[in-house]
Amino acid sequence: MKASPDFRISIKLTFLVALAVLIGFAVSATDSNAQLVTSDEGAINSSIDPDDPNSVLYTDTGGKKAGIGDPNKPASESVRIGLGWHPRAMSASGLPLDRYGLVDWAKIVRDGLIKPRHSLDPNEEEMPPLPMDVLIEAKSDFVDNVIYPHEIHTWWLKCEVCHPKIFIPAKGENHMTMSGIAEGQWCGRCHGKVAFPLTDCTRCHNSPK
Amino acid sequence: MKSIIILIISVVLLSPLTVSAEGLGDMKMDSKIESMKKAGVGPVIFPHTLHEAAMKCDECHPKIFVDKRGANDLSMKVNMKGGACGTMDCHDGKRAHALFNCGKCHHKTEGQ
Ligand code: HEC
Ligand code: HEC
Ligand code: HEC
Repeated sequence: MKASPDFRISIKLTFLVALAVLIGFAVSATDSNAQLVTSDEGAINSSIDPDDPNSVLYTDTGGKKAGIGDPNKPASESVRIGLGWHPRAMSASGLPLDRYGLVDWAKIVRDGLIKPRHSLDPNEEEMPPLPMDVLIEAKSDFVDNVIYPHEIHTWWLKCEVCHPKIFIPAKGENHMTMSGIAEGQWCGRCHGKVAFPLTDCTRCHNSPK
Repeated sequence: MKSIIILIISVVLLSPLTVSAEGLGDMKMDSKIESMKKAGVGPVIFPHTLHEAAMKCDECHPKIFVDKRGANDLSMKVNMKGGACGTMDCHDGKRAHALFNCGKCHHKTEGQ
């Protein structure tokens, strides 16, 4: 393969743009910290309600708080025009973070920091989490095996969310592959979308061969 | 006949020059091919030239990779623990594609 001067220039340009975006993030993060921490013992003064135009939840790709940018514009409108939830803004809520700076929902459950209602229907019977780990042996010789924890999943999810559509409930009967997971099958149905991202390899691959 | 021999000789003599001008090209990495087969992925093709275009040699050599073919014991385990390709600020999903994009490095990966 030949790297033409054009190609080198475009790579450099890409890096420059990326750098500018990164600096944007860094700057806006420091400025949001400054605004959010109020006088009384660092309590958070800002709302994290998506319906609140002053919500810190929404930021644009430059890291600016979209909800605060235009007080006449509801945050939900920011979403419609393509702005998203921003993990760094979310971190202003004071919730514990993982090593990528994303909210660590598993730790929140383990530490008992939140207590959501189990159902909107008060008459529905509550099902306790299922304390069952399933070992999923990795096919490669060079990666650690995966321990699938039912407990953390069934704390949030009903059995029917996964069984039998995503996983046949029998050890070793789901012929999973990492490339399939990365394409959004099996664990990839949620991880990287609503649960911690696939980048955090060792959180799943945690049992040495 | 004579001209063909001259052509061949000049190609042989000049080839090291073209390599240094265009980079080291693609490198096939398949020392762990048996394990790769079990996982349903193909051998890794490492585009050295592409990396040369984007970075200086000393970003990688010698602190991340010994600059000798076959001298580095590379594996997915090493990458996942933050070594080799998975070193901070490399294939972390921000600067370069994340490690779970199997098919970007492992050619002929099923389903990709
Ligand atoms: C987030 C997805 C998910 C949810 C929710 C879930 N499971 Fe599972 N379950 C799995 C996975 C993954 C496996 C492992 C399958 C494998 O090894 O191929 C599994 C395996 C099982 C097995 C087989 C275990 C074995 O050793 O063979 C049973 C039984 C089971 N689940 C029951 C349940 C029940 C009961 C619930 C609800 C309380 C539930 N599961 C909720 C994902 C889930
Ligand atoms: C959400 C959990 C999860 C995360 C995060 C995760 N993996 Fe996996 N990985 C799995 C499961 C499940 C398997 C399937 C095991 C099997 O059946 O071989 C697997 C298998 C693998 C395999 C063996 C090949 C194969 O297809 O079976 C490799 C290599 C691998 N993962 C690498 C990685 C790397 C690198 C990362 C981080 C970038 C990562 N994994 C992150 C769950 C995960
Ligand atoms: C239906 C959605 C869904 C599927 C499918 C799913 N997960 Fe999860 N997983 C979650 C949620 C939600 C959490 C908790 C929130 C978080 O940690 O981001 C979670 C958390 C985890 C944790 C965190 C444990 C901790 O205590 O830190 C592990 C490990 C995990 N999942 C592994 C897997 C593996 C392996 C698979 C595939 C075999 C899988 N998950 C499939 C939704 C899912």
